Amino acid sequence: MFAVDLIEWWYLRGWRVVSTGLKHKLSDSLDFFSIGQLFRTLFAPYRQISANTSDEGNRLNAFFDRLISRLVGTVTRLFIIIFGGLAIILEAILGVLFIVIWPVIPFLPVVCIVLTITGVHL
Amino acid sequence: MSQTVLSFNHYSLRARETRLGKKLGKKPVLFFLFVITFLGLAGGIYLLIAHSALCWLCFAVAIITFMFIIWTKCELITVPVGKTDSLDDTLSNDVLAALPANPTPLDIATVIEKTNSGRFLYVRYGISSKLLQNIARDLPNSVSPIFEAAIKIKQGTDSKEIHGAVLAVSIIACHPNNEIILRQMKLEMVDLLDGIVWFNYLNGLVKSVKQRRHSGGIARDLSFGYIPTLQRFGVNISSLREGAMKTQIQLAAHKEILAKMTQIFTSGSRQNVALIGPDGSGRSTIVTAFAEQLLDADSGLPASLRFRQIFKLDAAALISSATERGEIEGLVMHVLGEAYNAKNIIIWLENAELFFEDGVGSVDITNVLLPILEAGKLRIILTMDRQKFLEISARKAPLANALNKIMVTPANQQETMKVLQDQVPILEYQHHVSYTIWALKEAYRLSERYVHDLEMPGRALALLDAAGAYAENMLVTAASVGRAVEKTEGVKVQLAEDDSDKSKLLNLEELIHKRMIDQELAVKTVSDALRRAAAGVRNENRPIGTFLFLGPTGVGKTELAKALSEVYFNGENQIIRLDLNEFVEASDVSRLIADAASDELSLTAQVMKQPFSVVLLDEIEKAHPQVLTTLLQLLDEGILRDAKNKEVSFRDTIVIATSNAGADKIREYVKNRVELSSVKDEFMNWLLSTNVFKPEFLNRFDEICLFKPLSPDDCLKVVDLIIAGTNKTLAPQKIAVTLDDSAKQYLVEKGYDPQLGARPMKRIVQQTVENLVAKRVLTGEASSGANINITREMIERELS
Repeated sequence: MFAVDLIEWWYLRGWRVVSTGLKHKLSDSLDFFSIGQLFRTLFAPYRQISANTSDEGNRLNAFFDRLISRLVGTVTRLFIIIFGGLAIILEAILGVLFIVIWPVIPFLPVVCIVLTITGVHL
Repeated sequence: MSQTVLSFNHYSLRARETRLGKKLGKKPVLFFLFVITFLGLAGGIYLLIAHSALCWLCFAVAIITFMFIIWTKCELITVPVGKTDSLDDTLSNDVLAALPANPTPLDIATVIEKTNSGRFLYVRYGISSKLLQNIARDLPNSVSPIFEAAIKIKQGTDSKEIHGAVLAVSIIACHPNNEIILRQMKLEMVDLLDGIVWFNYLNGLVKSVKQRRHSGGIARDLSFGYIPTLQRFGVNISSLREGAMKTQIQLAAHKEILAKMTQIFTSGSRQNVALIGPDGSGRSTIVTAFAEQLLDADSGLPASLRFRQIFKLDAAALISSATERGEIEGLVMHVLGEAYNAKNIIIWLENAELFFEDGVGSVDITNVLLPILEAGKLRIILTMDRQKFLEISARKAPLANALNKIMVTPANQQETMKVLQDQVPILEYQHHVSYTIWALKEAYRLSERYVHDLEMPGRALALLDAAGAYAENMLVTAASVGRAVEKTEGVKVQLAEDDSDKSKLLNLEELIHKRMIDQELAVKTVSDALRRAAAGVRNENRPIGTFLFLGPTGVGKTELAKALSEVYFNGENQIIRLDLNEFVEASDVSRLIADAASDELSLTAQVMKQPFSVVLLDEIEKAHPQVLTTLLQLLDEGILRDAKNKEVSFRDTIVIATSNAGADKIREYVKNRVELSSVKDEFMNWLLSTNVFKPEFLNRFDEICLFKPLSPDDCLKVVDLIIAGTNKTLAPQKIAVTLDDSAKQYLVEKGYDPQLGARPMKRIVQQTVENLVAKRVLTGEASSGANINITREMIERELS
């Protein structure tokens, strides 16, 4: 009875639950790596570092400060985007793979038992 | 109700899943499954390397147990409710897993005890499993009516499932005498339905905590500046709230304020919000909830506000680090500049008045803050006490004009109860106790009367928090809250609780007559009124009793007030006495209601300190009419507002006003042997015609008691009372005094004055009896154990 219930769940609700779970996980990862936020602020100055802009000389300094700050910010953000993006892609691939093999999983024990009986080994 | 709705299929898929989930969901079982999976996998890999075909068997075992783990964790532990209205789709997991195939009402009652919601009702509302089982035994053997009621209750309380609490209430509702049962427990059906809603809410809260919140991630703050100085002089409220339980905003008014704050901070107007309201009204909670909302990526806030952080500026730290005024202004400018440049900071000035006036722990930096507030570039939240705001705005109009003011009003009873229900889990976690519903209700009731420094809901919450320390058997009940008030506010909140207090009330006349003579009518009138009050047959929004004592001087008016204080409030010192002949000017009203800080002897200050008292207003006819008008509110509503507009409750006082007005008329009645009770109306009409009191004033009293002059026989009894008092004083020295009848008679002859009553007699006794005793003690004629008998001759000699 349990086995029937398990199989019933596996092919009806289970598949959907696992797919939803993957969606949530990816959404969490996107939030964790702040991907959306990083894209929106890609060229914003890093940590708002700039000189005081009260006089003419400092204004020039501030311009260059901000330019460098933006450059640093862009590089830092790109690095996180790439690193985070790779992690999310990897997570997505593994997740999708799991969902794809999901319907096959209940057959695996049967296949394994058949292989045991037939004495197949590597 | 259709038949399909009530069909309970013990063998439905959901019912089977819940039962299996109950077994597999246990930690040891899950651990065992994990171990098998791991061993199967490890063994399989080993055998695979060893070229054994048995490796497939190991893999098969690992895969099967892995599937069971996934099934258990994703489904069985929390089998979701089904899509149909059938019982096996709507019953909660814990109920469904425990119900037998053909349940009886008793089976259901037994199952409820094992569910979280059932235990919730048990702890909060005192509905024990034994009581529930007894009720279930009285019901017919069919469970259909119970399930039918449960479906209705589920719908009525907007519950997602039929859980233990719903079933418990259904069982009670099905009992023909449910009203009587509930009344015995001081409950109503609506209380239990509220309990279900309360459980649903807390259950939802627990589930929401488990959900992951999106708060921006690791690179959230990369675009925002460094704030080293602000971090030194401020507290980051946003980071404190990250990962904490979400602050729930229960009050609709507070939700509106949050929306208004968002609107102000996203508009082009001045970027400041001043939350103005009394302490305890929830200003800080609003700011905390706003901080959480800002960090919630899913809250739907505009991008210009999302991930902004609220920093509370620490006034004390700023003041202590700057030695001179200029220095502190420079420091504040620097901190605010840093916040502005960071671009993600909202400054919060808690108790903002500290920044706008000089004093201990405060400094006036209006000249720094005003231009910033007027420019409106830096986002600032100010929270301020209403009274302080009025004071400051009267002095600094430009400051008041520069602020976007939002008033935070105190919560009403319903809202406060919701806030208390919301906060109870936190208090329970802190104190390791459980709170009953009566504790919450009592916290509201008592805090409304005795906690003066805060407003609702803060005042009730503060009391509930304090009550945690007075829990018995880890349960906070109404009595625990009462004890907390008694200990923290120094007031006695429950009078007629035990049998001795009840017996006191029943024998009030007898007890009063132990220390005062005659005045049967007045004593009975007062006693009846107090018994009505103690039995709950009184208006809770008025003093316990308000009495006007009329009669000649020295007949026992004050003595009755003292006797009441002793008998009713367990101490003669529980009396607040005001001679109203000292309140003859209109300006004296201010002395009557002066704030406790400026005059601790004002009426309001004394009652605030000692709310369970007899308030004795002597010679009320001499008070200025404006003073009497002020007292009208006291008599009518049981409250007075002090000079600082703080409400002071007189609802636990007995107010007694005394007057000699009409004394001659009373004497005349007595002289003509007229029974005072028969001419009371006539007397009152006469009194009104004299214009001593206005009718609206006299009408405010519960009872007007007429005191008759004492007769010579009464005076003999008064002498006995005075001698009894002297003996009480001498008791530690083991000396007793007795008087001959002739001596007593002589004292009455000498001391009785029809105009002044028994008062001169007290003086005569002091002059004679006490002097005689003193001399004998000093000469050694009377030592410990002696009985001094005083004769008429001895008194005559003493007086000569």
